Amino acid sequence: MQTLSFEFPAGQPARGRALVGCVGSGDLEVLLEPGTAGTLAIQVVTSVNGSAARWQQLFERLLRAQQLPALNIAIHDFGATPGVVRLRLEQGLEELNHA
Amino acid sequence: MAIERPATPRPHDLLWGMTAEQLPADAPVWARAALARHAPVVVRRASAEPGWIAVGIRGPAREQRFATWMRLDAIRRHVSPEAIARTGRWRTHAQAQWPALRALAQLAPELTARGLAWGVTGSLGFELASGLAAAHPASDLDLLLRAPQPLALGMARTLCTLFDGAPGTVDVQLETPCGALALREWAKGAARVLLKTSGGPLLVGDPWAAARQAVA
Repeated sequence: MQTLSFEFPAGQPARGRALVGCVGSGDLEVLLEPGTAGTLAIQVVTSVNGSAARWQQLFERLLRAQQLPALNIAIHDFGATPGVVRLRLEQGLEELNHA
Repeated sequence: MAIERPATPRPHDLLWGMTAEQLPADAPVWARAALARHAPVVVRRASAEPGWIAVGIRGPAREQRFATWMRLDAIRRHVSPEAIARTGRWRTHAQAQWPALRALAQLAPELTARGLAWGVTGSLGFELASGLAAAHPASDLDLLLRAPQPLALGMARTLCTLFDGAPGTVDVQLETPCGALALREWAKGAARVLLKTSGGPLLVGDPWAAARQAVA
């Protein structure tokens, strides 16, 4: 198990809270909560060691496409592929908008 | 062990017969070593050219997984997760105290009594089928449940309660005609669930829908 922390610039704090995903191999659980204005803080706990660069890249690509509100995102990863991670983040952001 | 050979191997099936010589030149050394000791390969959920099947090779470390393709005519032996469940080899496993093995011993009669088509996958399935060490004391129990028809939410929740009562962590994937999803996620009744298909993961409302449309 490895814990990784990332920070990115963001907008105003999000209002809602969302929990998506699943605890299980090849999947991940994502908890999205309102953060401090201007900051998107992401914490990843992963079963895959040495994957910091891969996560950094994935988040950068996601943020290039859209500006996110200020959030604290907690990710519990069980070896999900980048495709699964992107879908789970997308699902979490969607639920946040509907909350 | 009873060997069955369905027409086309399905995800999680174990296949023997691939040799190190059949690997591409850029394959890692540990993947070659695995095939050299006659380890089976695991069928992956990915598309393949006619006459080929997508497979993965397990290395000794968790992050060592090599994705490649195997020729169907190279298959010498084919074991499904259901066949691993039927042979019941976990009863004679040397580490009967491991949570995953205790869970399996507890759950097997319950699942069979309910008439479910279920099987053992993951590191424990690999170890039980091949006799090669792959599981460890903290391994989860990975199970597959065939669900050709939509699984009622009530039944999904009953099964989750059953699995929650077993030792250790039990990870159950539902295999629908369209792909696979986590039983636990289906039981939550979320608006959309993650379905793993041969074309990649998708968020869908009904993980059985595509198959029903195909029939209609």
